[in-house]
Amino acid sequence: MCQPNKNIYLPNLATIEAIVDETPDVRTLRLVFQDEAVRDSFSFRAGQFAEYSAFGSGESTFCIASPPTRKGYIECCFRGVGRVTEALRGLEVGDTVGVRGPYGNSFPIEEFFGKSLVFIAGGIALPPLRTVIWNCLDLRDKFKDITIVYGARSESDLVYKRELAEWAERDDVRLVKCVDPGGAGPDFDGKVGFVPTVLEEAAPSAENTIALVCGPPIMIKFTLPVLERLGFGDDSIYTTLENRMKCGVGKCGRCNVGNVYVCKDGPVFTAREVKAMSQEF
Amino acid sequence: MPQIITEENLRKLVDLLVKEKKLVVGPKKSGSMVLYEPLGTGSELNLDTLPRRSSKELYFPVCEEILRFRKEGGVVQVDDVDRSRFPETVLIGAPPCDAASPSILDAVFSWDYHDEFYLERRKKGTIIGIACTKCDDACFCSAVGLAPDAQQGSDLFLTPLKGGGFSCSAVTEKGEKLVAAHAPLFSEAASAEPVEFPAQGMEKLDLVMIKQWLSGHFEDPLWESISDICIGCGACAFICPACHCFDINDEGSPDNGVRRKHWDACGFSKFTNHASGHNPRDVQNKRYRNRIMHKFKYYDDKFGKTLCTGCGRCVRACPVGIDIAEILNTINGK
Amino acid sequence: MNSKAEKIKAASIDPAYYQAVTDSIRLAAVKLLEAGSVSAVIGYLPGRRTGTASPAVVTDPEQAAKLIFSPACVNNLSLYLTKAKKGVLKKGRIAIVAKGCDMRALAGLIGESQIKRDDLVIIGVACAGVYGRCSDRPARLDEESIARKCRECSVHLPEGADLVLGTLPELPEPDPSEARELARIEAMTAAERWAFWKEHFSRCIRCLACRQVCPFCYCEQCLCDKNRPQAVEQSPRPAGNTAWHLVRAMHLAGRCGGCAECERVCPMDIPLNLLNRRMAKELKELYDYEAGLVPQEKGPLNQYKEDDDQSFIK
Repeated sequence: MCQPNKNIYLPNLATIEAIVDETPDVRTLRLVFQDEAVRDSFSFRAGQFAEYSAFGSGESTFCIASPPTRKGYIECCFRGVGRVTEALRGLEVGDTVGVRGPYGNSFPIEEFFGKSLVFIAGGIALPPLRTVIWNCLDLRDKFKDITIVYGARSESDLVYKRELAEWAERDDVRLVKCVDPGGAGPDFDGKVGFVPTVLEEAAPSAENTIALVCGPPIMIKFTLPVLERLGFGDDSIYTTLENRMKCGVGKCGRCNVGNVYVCKDGPVFTAREVKAMSQEF
Repeated sequence: MPQIITEENLRKLVDLLVKEKKLVVGPKKSGSMVLYEPLGTGSELNLDTLPRRSSKELYFPVCEEILRFRKEGGVVQVDDVDRSRFPETVLIGAPPCDAASPSILDAVFSWDYHDEFYLERRKKGTIIGIACTKCDDACFCSAVGLAPDAQQGSDLFLTPLKGGGFSCSAVTEKGEKLVAAHAPLFSEAASAEPVEFPAQGMEKLDLVMIKQWLSGHFEDPLWESISDICIGCGACAFICPACHCFDINDEGSPDNGVRRKHWDACGFSKFTNHASGHNPRDVQNKRYRNRIMHKFKYYDDKFGKTLCTGCGRCVRACPVGIDIAEILNTINGK
Repeated sequence: MNSKAEKIKAASIDPAYYQAVTDSIRLAAVKLLEAGSVSAVIGYLPGRRTGTASPAVVTDPEQAAKLIFSPACVNNLSLYLTKAKKGVLKKGRIAIVAKGCDMRALAGLIGESQIKRDDLVIIGVACAGVYGRCSDRPARLDEESIARKCRECSVHLPEGADLVLGTLPELPEPDPSEARELARIEAMTAAERWAFWKEHFSRCIRCLACRQVCPFCYCEQCLCDKNRPQAVEQSPRPAGNTAWHLVRAMHLAGRCGGCAECERVCPMDIPLNLLNRRMAKELKELYDYEAGLVPQEKGPLNQYKEDDDQSFIK
């Protein structure tokens, strides 16, 4: 994991190859590493994150949103909320971004082989699961049923709109799209309701199924009981936690939830592990 | 036969090491206090007073560059820091509460990812520890498993003797090498009677019991009662030999700037603040609880060590008199 | 007893005076709580170490009976009435133990509409002085151990308090070392002064104890914590440290009550009160304004009036 005398805080340089504005305030950057050796060797697992630099402003932590099965580039997806994210949004195609990573643990995809998968995400929390979704779709025959329940506050807040359409088209994926009450336009072709409610209605089977959940704390809070009611055990539910991070490598002491370092012991946890944590996240 | 060194020779050792172009750091009078500072001569070495700040900054500086970035012809260049230029350093005159700190911090700075800023300095650093001949009512090293004459963390350990001078124990190979390289300064004595070590006010704490209590009392009225008066500054964390939280910031401009890491503290109100505005530790009790938990439970969970050396600096420095030794005593009594 | 010993004894404060204040505070606090006139009393409780005390917000009479007043009661308790300590404010009518220097802070906070006078029962203390930082904390407060600010105290009797407890003993006349130091620095050349402060600020570690202990630093978000824009560099380096301290001195000009807590709590012994004291002098010279025991309108740098002197704008 570490070469001798290597500076662990030194990022790789990547060029912005493409920019997609998912929503008015959420942007995807497609990045290609400038160093050929890094381009060829960079690999990661779904669920891992990286520290992205806007030089002069600082670093910000986002998951690696592209699937590990696609080589040659990585993607990150973020909302402009502060100094670094706004600086990243100020960059153009051809500009340089620093990338440090991949860090953290990952979804144990191999343990999901032969099972069905239910992905549940809200708003800007789709990116951490999107990497897993494509990872699994790229290995589609390894899994049984795949269900995706995804919602946002309003239609315009849905991210990866093009891919949602792709997933809807596929007959080997069941996509249930929704927006909060009041968030649907006249042509909206999904359900209206909060994600936990829509999930309960969709009632995916819990038999031999793994549930992967990612969303704001309030969504998680109401989704876990629904999954419980549907018959999912705490070891069959996976989530990815977020916390304020800086170093990403377990040194700066910022991201711990109790004695669990989100950057090292996570960010992927089972519901059992989350329930065992000190409740300070 | 015990090995000894006279005080005169100890100061000569400093002079010799300085001549060898080593960075010699020791307690030195600095304005109104004593601080760990580079020594120019042996006469500057002050062995009477505990320095106001800990010696952790020899390995974990208050502020240091970790990379530089610039734009050259529109192309971004990122430059590493040349760590080969870190000087060979000898820390001389560190009491056990300071000498032990790197041996505690090594674990986190080499946890899977190696922080070479810390580790390179450690590699190039030698620690000459010295036993304590006095203590005040804030000291509690004995209570947390150290002692006025604990050799943990020292490469060479000096014990003041009755009648002057010090007995020397080479604790590590580095210590042996240091003695061998300056053999004429050391001599053997028929006997070496150490001075009496001061007894500290506090009884030994049962750290295992304390950790157990902490494990079961994340929610407890104790947290509010002890930390309601905490004002959320970073004094305790910054002068502590064991606290090691840091922040990373870019300064300058995208065309020409520096990325640095510098000390941070979990006591600050925005330490865990998310960009969304959500703050898991939004009130001071939660932040103070984290301090105690990290030092006496989490660090032990992860690395098998207590993140405290009982130096008492936080007790002396706290603006509102929060006394961590008293808190530990209270928990021990539960 | 020879005359030298007598002189030394006379130059120190009899602990009996402090004990008397302690007894009065306990009586008053217990009475207030038992009668339900206040929901909490902010005072001092003794620390584990001899000669130390900590602020305490006591809500039950049993705790109130343990409150003390001693030379260890250094804290400016008005800090606990500010926005920074929201929990205490919500409790209702509060009693607070206040020395004269603390009263200036209370007066300032009331003047800035941070607290309402009616919400307070001010238990004033006729204060003979408190320990300076780095003192040995002897049983008798003396020339060596008394705080710098106490040497020139003009507010031994906190006028405007609801109660004034304690009878001042005969007070020694300690050497006004702070005034002397201020004069020494004022007599320096600009280059010497710059070197003086540069040396001090280079030792600042940005623990922000100075800010956190100050009753007037109650901004919900400190300018120096913002990163858009980054007005002051966050890293603890000489330039940013200097900027930090100068910004704070400016923000306190005309508001600082001179409790000198910032200087006391600085782990690096930076003589911050000299800055604040000099600023107070400037405000007095320029605008004839000074912090006092009586709540006033906001200070001259905190407000704008139509008839403000504009002659300096050329």
